[in-house]
Amino acid sequence: MLTKTATSTLSRLHTRARIVLLMLIIAGVPAVSPGQQQPQPPKPAPKRVRSVMGFQDIKKNETCDINVGASSVNLKGKTATVEVTVASIEDVLTGDDSARLVGGFVGTLTSFGPYGSGRFLSLFRKKLDTLTIQYRDSDGGLHGGILSMHPGEAIALKRLIVAAGAKTTVPVDDSGKPAEGTPTATAEQKKGDQKP
Amino acid sequence: MTRFILGLVLGTFAATAIHAQGSTAKPVKQPAPHAIQLAKIESSEIKLPPAFEMAIYEHALDEIKKTALFDQIYRDGDRRAASVTGLVTLRTDVRGFKQGSAMARQVTTVAGKTSIKVHMVLAQADGKVLLEKDLEGKVRFFGENMRATFDLAKGMARTLKDNFQKPATTSKS
Repeated sequence: MLTKTATSTLSRLHTRARIVLLMLIIAGVPAVSPGQQQPQPPKPAPKRVRSVMGFQDIKKNETCDINVGASSVNLKGKTATVEVTVASIEDVLTGDDSARLVGGFVGTLTSFGPYGSGRFLSLFRKKLDTLTIQYRDSDGGLHGGILSMHPGEAIALKRLIVAAGAKTTVPVDDSGKPAEGTPTATAEQKKGDQKP
Repeated sequence: MTRFILGLVLGTFAATAIHAQGSTAKPVKQPAPHAIQLAKIESSEIKLPPAFEMAIYEHALDEIKKTALFDQIYRDGDRRAASVTGLVTLRTDVRGFKQGSAMARQVTTVAGKTSIKVHMVLAQADGKVLLEKDLEGKVRFFGENMRATFDLAKGMARTLKDNFQKPATTSKS
């Protein structure tokens, strides 16, 4: 009787293990645990970013070259160049966002595709990092420039700008915390604030 | 019987016309001040992502400029605004934020709404409030989450346009 129960339990376990293995293969989850994974090296600061808005003379959503100098951050678009002096930067904050993999005009066209193909394509999205730069112009007027770039690059760019002398309300942390402004980061910040 | 039906129809038409006249009566617009300064977006109660805060601010500046109500538009902290007479300040406080999902919106159409609720106050330098209103910016069907900031800015500009009008310019002889 005992052997019978043990055999049935073992076969049940085998079945469960098979199901879990199948699910892992389908989900594409690597077999190694997060602890065994090697930490990825931090990404270097980007050379090209997308200016979402807030930089005068540079069009919205224009891709531009970025260069962080000793005393200024330079953005070079197709037709215009913007120079933001590091001394005028009041805050540099990172965040994250996502966008459709097929975007722009083609993305809009695909939404009219037959049999819900547009909706299917909407499932494919790319992650983005955002960097918000708050700076003052020569008259003291506040500007809010938003840049978007590949994931992991915003923190590297922030580190570079802060190293050049820009101020920030959230210090750069090398521990690889999630981006600021996200719910997780906010919760962590609150927890930290509560500590005596 | 025919007279009764005719009277009923005419009466209904008359009542509809009177109701429509009453509902479309627009409030009297005040003359728009000469200059406006947009203060930095505050989020005292809600933690709004920094990109959203600055996007509201930048979009609001663009949309207010489009209304052409004000001769001068100043950014927060602009020193030139200090010497301007008749300056009004637009303050915006974020009261609610729900970050939806663009993917959920695009796939399901009905779910994943993003909304930002704000309280805007337009006041003179002496503190007299000219306009106060709660507004909501949302993206319900199409577009990324950031589009809610654009919708909100458009609402802010619309509110100003509904309450103010450009003062008639006096012709110089």
